[in-house]
Amino acid sequence: MQSELIEQKMRKVMGQVFKLPVESIAADASRENLEQWDSLKHLNLMLALEDALGVEFSDAEIAEINSYQGLVTALRHKSS
Amino acid sequence: MKSTLNLSPTDAPMALGELLAEVDRLDDALAGNASGISLLFLRNVTMEGVEPFLRFRLLKRGIRPSLRFGGYGSIRQDLAEAQSPSAAYQPNVLVLCLMLEELDPAYGMPGWTGARARSELAELLDAVAASNAPTIVINTFVPPFRSETGFQPPKTTPNMEDEVAALNQFVRQYVRGNSPRFCLTDWERLARQYGEADSMDYRYWYMSKAPFKKRFLDGIAHELTKVVLALKGQAKKCLVLDCDNTLWGGVVGEDGIDGIRLDGHDYPGKAFYDFQKTVLQLADRGVLVVLCSKNNETDVFEVLDNHPWCLIKRSHLSGFRVNWEDKATNIAALAQELNLGLDSFVFVDDNPAEVELVGQALPEVTSLLVPQKLYEYPALLLRDGWFDTLSVSQEDKQRAALYQGEAQRKAERTRFVDIDAYLSSMQIEANIHPASDGEVERVAQLSQKTNQFNLTTRRYSVHDIEALRSGSDSAVFTLTARDRFGALGLVGVLIAKKEPDHAVVDTLLMSCRVLGRGLETAFVLDCMDQARQRWNIQQWRAEYIPTKKNGQVASFWNGFGFTPAPQDNGACLYRLEAPAADKQVPGYLTIRRE
Repeated sequence: MQSELIEQKMRKVMGQVFKLPVESIAADASRENLEQWDSLKHLNLMLALEDALGVEFSDAEIAEINSYQGLVTALRHKSS
Repeated sequence: MKSTLNLSPTDAPMALGELLAEVDRLDDALAGNASGISLLFLRNVTMEGVEPFLRFRLLKRGIRPSLRFGGYGSIRQDLAEAQSPSAAYQPNVLVLCLMLEELDPAYGMPGWTGARARSELAELLDAVAASNAPTIVINTFVPPFRSETGFQPPKTTPNMEDEVAALNQFVRQYVRGNSPRFCLTDWERLARQYGEADSMDYRYWYMSKAPFKKRFLDGIAHELTKVVLALKGQAKKCLVLDCDNTLWGGVVGEDGIDGIRLDGHDYPGKAFYDFQKTVLQLADRGVLVVLCSKNNETDVFEVLDNHPWCLIKRSHLSGFRVNWEDKATNIAALAQELNLGLDSFVFVDDNPAEVELVGQALPEVTSLLVPQKLYEYPALLLRDGWFDTLSVSQEDKQRAALYQGEAQRKAERTRFVDIDAYLSSMQIEANIHPASDGEVERVAQLSQKTNQFNLTTRRYSVHDIEALRSGSDSAVFTLTARDRFGALGLVGVLIAKKEPDHAVVDTLLMSCRVLGRGLETAFVLDCMDQARQRWNIQQWRAEYIPTKKNGQVASFWNGFGFTPAPQDNGACLYRLEAPAADKQVPGYLTIRRE
């Protein structure tokens, strides 16, 4: 899958999980600077991304991924 | 997406992001214009995952829930907090979610027994029972998926399988012994239904104490939705069945009684036979069964009366329309005949065009299509809990007989021109008295499901009714009636509350099948008299709160000499500056207070 398409789908899911307009999700968003990204939403985010993109995160990824860029990297890696 | 038997008109989109977006959309669409319900989850594991599924299912049925979750392992503190009079949150439903792994950390050790979990559980159940939560839902435990002893269970030492089964038996018995206040979400049955792969999320269990996959969470949401709908009085009451290819396979008018497919052994006849079994189960619970079929009446009744495998007989029917008119007209007529709202009807037909027609002409009716995969047909009526109520009273079981008496009464009415002469001939007796022990359940049930003749539509649980009945400043009166055709049952409830200088009619409801005989007048007058004697009050207040269903009683209180004061929201408050209303009990009624 093209990486722009992956990122586009990822942004859509983030909007759905965090209840935010997709445009407002910044490329430097992280669990530290995005208020909505709490630990329960994090679980939902990972599940929702798995559903939408047909991937599976490892336990280590779920624990360690904490930013928009971290997600992009992990998803690109999985779909390549 | 995997297709399973659980698919139903309210099935959620299974991709979580889509579900969350859909929940937001429905929530906005219903804002300010839906009925609410509050649920408090007390749990020893992470259960938040159930929220989108539960919200989705309830929003789809027009209910906007408010959900709260207590802390992990702080069930007793949360309970104490919810109990304190200052608590801002008084839940309608308390949902206890317990995992055995947390209840007893020794679960899974060699030689483990359920004794400790059982005593913990019993203590917790007593604690929630002592709360003032009107309705409480508890779960069974998911049994072990693997045997710790291999293929030969040891003869003497305990094993997990049996121990968990015994605990679950204890839970079920507790619910049975405390119904209808306690309800069950059967996690054991859900795990059996979905299997380990779709039930258990071991990854999130170890990482976040969130034990379940979304299929299982949706299963829990589905069960909770049934409880909430029953609490809201939205249980269906009447099942309308087509005949050809619905009660049996084939067309009786063409294939003849010997050619239709209906039998206890061979497919597809057995699918229809098993479907009829579920109809009988519903009839036994008090659901009314009626037929609506384009057929010759004689053909249909030949099958009902004479087919060796036809379980549904004439005596199960509370009405029928077997003719060539359109089904929407027929169903509307049946609703009128049975005095039931169209939204309490479920219609089953094999013809998509008929289902479509009824769906368009009568959108309140729930229309179900016989599945093309006939082997899925027997599960159609029970799986979504359309007819589930919080309790089944003796009266429910006799309801078909009550309605058959009603058909005779209607036949009688057409013989009389003078309606008063007719009513006198009916020898109607009304018994009006404070609700007795044995009536509490029926009173709560009527308050939950009566929609049309209901002035305020306040829903009360058994627990609430007990409290109102035993309080010194409130009273619950019942009306039980009979006539020369037999008992009509408990058909009216009036709840009065005493204020410093007046009394208020908090609730007045009547079963629609007894209207038009002056019973409602007699009931109100006699309750007012009994309340006046009890409290010595000089004035009355009453109110009417409009709903989609109760338009017929909008001006009920005007007839009793009350002065109306309309409110902005469509409701109306009424005042009566006298201890008794200015109205007479009809002379043909006999009133007793036994």
